[in-house]
Amino acid sequence: MKIICLIKFVPDVENFKYDYERNVLVRENVRMILNPDDACSVALALKVKEQQPGTVIEVVTMAPQSIIPQLEDLLRLNVDRAVLISDKVYVGSDTYVTGRILGRYLSEASFDCILAGTHTLDGDTSHVPSQVAELLGLSQMSNVVEIDEAVFCRERAVVLADEEFTYAKYEITLPAVISLRKDRKYKLPYIRYEDLSRDVKDRIRIIDNEELGFVQEEVGIVGSLTQISSTFVKSMEKKERLIVRNDEEGMNQVYSFLMERGFV
Amino acid sequence: MKKVLIYYDQKQHKNSIELLAVARMIYGDDSTGKEGIEDYETYGASFGSIGEEAEGLFDFLIEVGNDSAQHGKRAKVFNHEQGPKTLNHEYGKDHLPVYDALYMTSVLDELQQEYRFDCILFPATHMGRMLAPRLAMRLQTGLVADVTDIRHKDGVMEIVRPAFSGKLMAGILSRTAPLMMSVRQNVFFYEPDSLGETRRINHTPKTVCTGEIRLLEVREKEASKDIRDSDVLISGGGGVMKDFKKLSELASELNALVSASRKTVDNGIAPRSIQVGQSGKTVSPKLYMALGINGSIQHIEGLKNVEYMISVNTNKNAPICSISDIVVEGDAKEFITKLTEKIRKEKQI
Repeated sequence: MKIICLIKFVPDVENFKYDYERNVLVRENVRMILNPDDACSVALALKVKEQQPGTVIEVVTMAPQSIIPQLEDLLRLNVDRAVLISDKVYVGSDTYVTGRILGRYLSEASFDCILAGTHTLDGDTSHVPSQVAELLGLSQMSNVVEIDEAVFCRERAVVLADEEFTYAKYEITLPAVISLRKDRKYKLPYIRYEDLSRDVKDRIRIIDNEELGFVQEEVGIVGSLTQISSTFVKSMEKKERLIVRNDEEGMNQVYSFLMERGFV
Repeated sequence: MKKVLIYYDQKQHKNSIELLAVARMIYGDDSTGKEGIEDYETYGASFGSIGEEAEGLFDFLIEVGNDSAQHGKRAKVFNHEQGPKTLNHEYGKDHLPVYDALYMTSVLDELQQEYRFDCILFPATHMGRMLAPRLAMRLQTGLVADVTDIRHKDGVMEIVRPAFSGKLMAGILSRTAPLMMSVRQNVFFYEPDSLGETRRINHTPKTVCTGEIRLLEVREKEASKDIRDSDVLISGGGGVMKDFKKLSELASELNALVSASRKTVDNGIAPRSIQVGQSGKTVSPKLYMALGINGSIQHIEGLKNVEYMISVNTNKNAPICSISDIVVEGDAKEFITKLTEKIRKEKQI
């Protein structure tokens, strides 16, 4: 079967630095990483391919061309093909436009199942997989933490979704869009030593707007239906605080604080 | 008269009702900077009937009912221990496939075509987050996700949401109609001015479910107590990772629940269901005790209207300490032991 993994490269937000003097977040020079939930989807696809050798895995992403080295690394992990949708006119597209751009490529592509991530480290709207599914007229399920590999086939998938208060198991007719949520079961392997510098360029296909044919007004910032008007860092309000130590006096002070307010 | 549709998630009554506060901030509240208030009416739409919880709060409740003859399929659950049983609550209520976003989107679209809402709001629940983007694409309108605030300035409404895992907040303008948002849970609180009359409308869907998603089994999660319902939270972070179990001793003395930072969850020490913060839950306890938690912006983003905060940290300048009432400078494990003993001793007197 053919699996398409819809992936996104995001800034490594854990390594953002905070400039307390200027009250801004320093976002320059932060490296891009494969979004963790999306990495799970690729890891799962690779696991399926191991068990079902005829499986074909294609990763699809919309990104600037500077991301090519990272796509090459995925191809060195036994991913078959990478499709990079990249055009200057797409810069600044919101989720609605991004969904349409990806949807246009996918409507021409062949696949049995689309895997995506539920959350992203950057925008975390969870919009794109649902919107792509809507454009393609397919079912979609988010927060999936497990796909039963034994029965995963072209016709159906049995998935386990983590739904806040419950776990629900569903059987989904394929093709469909399944959004995974990070789980330790699915981890990307390391590239084998002999593959580290393998030339995989011929397996990357770059698609630009000439091929997809959007009118410029439909895409990018101008085509977006929502627009970022400001960004700011939440200022924390400082409190009058009491600093004590872990000694008897400290404990007495904590205890009376709790007692005066009725907690003990 | 503006019309607001609120998707009423049957599994999360409170999070559905609190969206009435958002509707008020959009149209009817000039304290948000809005010039002049507008008349609006609220419609709650649920799949299956809504109980007393919402009575008197919404102007209208649209209950999507089902003619079982039309759909025929009764949602069944297969529990391996008890064998198949029919679901009688939450799932498949009134035989509706309340997990099939494609079907539900078509039904919500039917409502939009009939009522022409100006604004459609979803709680950012598991289902709300799947439905909102689908419906927005269907209606070809913009959508803002996980909204945490509404601001009006010079006649323009700015919708605020977190970005980069809560490290940054973004103000968003939405340029199309209907206005659509999904709203972060437990951020808004709705206090009705007075209870009104709620009119109930039954809607029988024209859409036929194709049954592409079938529910096989539902399992309750073990942690049945929700940290969002607790008045007191004893929260542990990296500093108490090795002795995380000890937190529950202190928690039981204070009639509290144990919660955790992302670090402990990522290390497999605490379950995700008790995680506080941007990628976890937003909590509003009366007392929050942060033990060995540094207090990243993402963690603090999960604390809303906390009345009192005590933090214990070896570094008294950790970010969490700047928003605490009492800072205990020292080892959090030692603190747990000492305070637990102190409370037990005082109880005996």
